[in-house]
Amino acid sequence: MTCEEFATAELDLGSSGIDAQLEIAAREHLRECPHCAALHENWLSLREDLRVLAVETAEAEASPRIEMRLRQEFRTKHKTVRTHRAALVLGWGLAAAAAVVLGIGWADWYFHKGPSVAKQTQTNPAPNPAGIHNASPVPQANAPAQSESNDVIVASNNYGEFTPLPDSIPTAPEDATVVRVQMQRGALSALGLTVNEEHAADLIQVDLLVGDDGVPQAIRLPQTSTSVSN
Amino acid sequence: MQLDSQERDDVLLKRSAKGDERAFTDLYRRHQAAIYRYALRMTGSSWAAEEIVQDVFMMLVREPKKYDPSRGTLGAFLYGVARNRIMKHLERTPRDFSLDESGEPGRETYPQLREQMTPGHWAELRERRDQVRSAVLELPPEFREAVVLCELEEMSYEEAARALECPVGTIRSRLHRGRALLLAKLEMLREVPKRANAGRG
Repeated sequence: MTCEEFATAELDLGSSGIDAQLEIAAREHLRECPHCAALHENWLSLREDLRVLAVETAEAEASPRIEMRLRQEFRTKHKTVRTHRAALVLGWGLAAAAAVVLGIGWADWYFHKGPSVAKQTQTNPAPNPAGIHNASPVPQANAPAQSESNDVIVASNNYGEFTPLPDSIPTAPEDATVVRVQMQRGALSALGLTVNEEHAADLIQVDLLVGDDGVPQAIRLPQTSTSVSN
Repeated sequence: MQLDSQERDDVLLKRSAKGDERAFTDLYRRHQAAIYRYALRMTGSSWAAEEIVQDVFMMLVREPKKYDPSRGTLGAFLYGVARNRIMKHLERTPRDFSLDESGEPGRETYPQLREQMTPGHWAELRERRDQVRSAVLELPPEFREAVVLCELEEMSYEEAARALECPVGTIRSRLHRGRALLLAKLEMLREVPKRANAGRG
């Protein structure tokens, strides 16, 4: 074995990984070559020093504050993730709830109010005894008779049989007062209603739904007014 | 045994990724000391070693999916991450000789030896130890890590090769070169001709 070969084999000398024959040859070279023997002795000495150094730091470990800091980071990270997840779930939950409410609302409107309004708009409007032309879908004063004859379900609203006046601000019916007045049909125009000029001078009786502020909000033509007008 | 350990690491890491703090703590306690020692022996600074340990496990907290079990053990993966951090640290601070664990208050190495040795022996041992420590820290990083892993960590060449992601032959040649550099730094080589001559005589 040459000195170069020995230098390569020396790394494994003494370990279990070295080939038996190679070890025998290396040890023979050690006996024959004082230079390699001296080098090997130095290496063994250095190795012992390294072992001392290794043992010295064998029990070394990071201080507990590192663990504390990491655990804090861990908690922060996973708390944030949980918060994000909760927010996401809550968001989707709210969106789903809103969709359900909207769906129920639409279904309620469609199956209860919608068809009646639709049917009402489809039927021919009854002649208005007061000569009022109102585009509002709210039933007119004589609507009950009409609805009975045509088997139409009349949509109810907060005003009952009253017709809301244009630009009026609706209030709760229980806060309003019904006032029956006799007036010329032409005076209805002052309430924002369209009046047939041919019958403007007729005297009619009307029920006014007057709010807390004294301003009429809706109008109803009682059956008697029909007779008055007629 | 190693397979069991590997499985346990995998399971712990999965649980940790799902927010199980206990699993993370177990993983940390299982691996931190080895990573810390490796970093300490490479940098020579307990402060830097702690920073590196923190960085390594912080990565595990933030990006646990970076570890791919099919590529090796979690321990080897952590060694690899630690190695990158160590190299960055060494680039920033090329020389750091503050490795003096025994100098820290409350820590004393080998108290039983101190009792048995005379002050003169103790001083000699300490001086020798400091020389070796300095010589290791003066080695170029690639040779230093081979010496640290194979001689101080007592890893096999195969384990060191896995940790450093290089062939076994590279580890052997680095170790050989590192050893020669160490001997040169400790001026042991000067004594060789004398001893050789003495052997011939």
